[in-house]
Amino acid sequence: MKKITIIATLILTTAVVIIGCKDKRDPGKIYMPDMAYSRGYETYAQRDSSIFTADPNDAGHKIFYNNLAPAGTMKRGELFPYPLAFDSNNYKISGQIQNPIVGDLPGKELEEAGRLYNINCGICHGEKGAANGPLSAKIGAIANFTQPKYIDMADGTMFYSITYGLNNMGSYASQLSREQRWKVIKYIRTLQPKTIATASAAADSTTAK
Amino acid sequence: MSRYRKIFNGILANIFLVVLLSTSFQSFAQDGQALFKANCASCHKVDKDFTGPALKGWSTRVPAGDWIYKWIANSASLKETDAYAKEISAKWNNVVMTAFGSQLKKEDIDAILKYVDDWAPPVAPVGAPVEKTDDSLLFGILTLVLALIAFILLQVNSNLRKLSDEKEGVLRTEPVPFYRNKSYLMVGILVLFSVGGFYTINGAIGMGRQQNYQPEQPIYYSHQVHAGTNQISCLYCHGGAQDSKQASIPSVNTCMNCHKAIDKYEGPDVLVRENGKAVDGTAEIQKLYSYAGWNTNTKSYNPDNNNDGIPDGARPIEWVKIHNLPDHVYFNHSQHVKVGKQACQTCHGNIQQMPEVYQFSDLSMGWCINCHRETKVDFYNKEAGSGNKYYSIYEKFHNDLKNHKMDSVTVENIGGTECQKCHY
Repeated sequence: MKKITIIATLILTTAVVIIGCKDKRDPGKIYMPDMAYSRGYETYAQRDSSIFTADPNDAGHKIFYNNLAPAGTMKRGELFPYPLAFDSNNYKISGQIQNPIVGDLPGKELEEAGRLYNINCGICHGEKGAANGPLSAKIGAIANFTQPKYIDMADGTMFYSITYGLNNMGSYASQLSREQRWKVIKYIRTLQPKTIATASAAADSTTAK
Repeated sequence: MSRYRKIFNGILANIFLVVLLSTSFQSFAQDGQALFKANCASCHKVDKDFTGPALKGWSTRVPAGDWIYKWIANSASLKETDAYAKEISAKWNNVVMTAFGSQLKKEDIDAILKYVDDWAPPVAPVGAPVEKTDDSLLFGILTLVLALIAFILLQVNSNLRKLSDEKEGVLRTEPVPFYRNKSYLMVGILVLFSVGGFYTINGAIGMGRQQNYQPEQPIYYSHQVHAGTNQISCLYCHGGAQDSKQASIPSVNTCMNCHKAIDKYEGPDVLVRENGKAVDGTAEIQKLYSYAGWNTNTKSYNPDNNNDGIPDGARPIEWVKIHNLPDHVYFNHSQHVKVGKQACQTCHGNIQQMPEVYQFSDLSMGWCINCHRETKVDFYNKEAGSGNKYYSIYEKFHNDLKNHKMDSVTVENIGGTECQKCHY
């Protein structure tokens, strides 16, 4: 009887020591693996790919990463795919593609477009589109939307640049859906002076200050 | 009257002259900086090469005369006729400089150039480094010394009593040693039981939870630098949090949006690993380039010779997922971020101050439920028309609110603690 008590105490102490000394680099143990780990593919969950695939190239990877959607598929409610491929000539003709959103955005949608602008674009292009966002000094060559060049620029050309990136700017196709990109362009238009005449007048007034 | 008018006119003219002189002079001095910031700073730095060359010392490099004005007015047309313009343009990969002919007058350009010439590097603030001392060792030694003194005093006390007993002739039985003393043993067992029990229960509860889990990531990515110092919105990279169940780990493309241009780490935060080892930020950015298949020399992606749709050598970064909920719990980010308007920090802690991210909350059920009990929903107010219209169907709560039977509606009220909301 005495022996059993001593053994039980020892086991308990070891268990306590093992659980107590958890390394923070280690995720630790769980009670019921059947209930904790998904049998299906779970985004970003750590799984050993060798269990699931016969492709030797994939073996050893611990994550099923964010795969692209199968070719030719489309998200529900999304606009039709953009017809121009990435190509320097296509950049020149991109202005011919019209913004599918006709007229001004209604208040709520413009607000949403502004929110997306501030998250994704404002970091460089600035809250007011004047190329003075927090990162603008580190990246450089940021487009100032209030300048005549960008007031003149067609929506389609802007869309091309957002989709494929241009110079220092990367592609935002993975962050903004096609519809969101068109809407953000509508929002950028609201940041710009109405005409080039007022823009150059504004530029004059800043230089005269 | 006419006499006064003359004096008045004279004074007015003087004031006018003074104002004119002073403002024009002042604006000239300030303008150089303002104009530089507005027109040049996005591509040029005074002391360092940026998208374009460093401007300091321009006068020693460019041809004399009005070359500089021509170049600023329209560099593209100058390039066709001038040899130096051609040379400098080729040196900077033929990136076209904006033509400022219509925007900047000669005086403006002079002001900018004067600002560049007069520019001096800002002096770094000098401050005494704050020394952090750890007193726990001192307190530990003090405690030990005090315990030792107490033990010695106890021994002295018992020995003295023994001596006095012997002197008075009182016969006492041999004292029981303390390790067989029943009251000592009892106290020891009680202490062991409560301390051991505490750790055992805590360990048992903590099993399957990962609070403070801080795995080592394939690239040392500091949230403090990105979300804190550089003020990048959480949703810039984790945009999925507003649209889907998953907050989503950004693809390499998202990293390259900025790191196409930013290839060096220049502070100000000091990068240190958990074990105190310094991190070379620039080397970590190089790791990113290897994952992205980006060639730093040509500043372009590797060609896709094996036709798999991505640059050769590019592969996803295998980030380690930190926040794991068991499969039997359903959690949706968009529900909390978009509808509930919760800040990321509510559950993830002050991410913008974490060099290496750890799991801030224990993500236990009690923690979820507690928040659901305390958090008020953005309930629809019929009279004011404010709040989330979805809640207009909760007729009873509207009436209760109106009759002051309740003052706010929590997540629990609308079913946020029902089992099958998260377990199904």
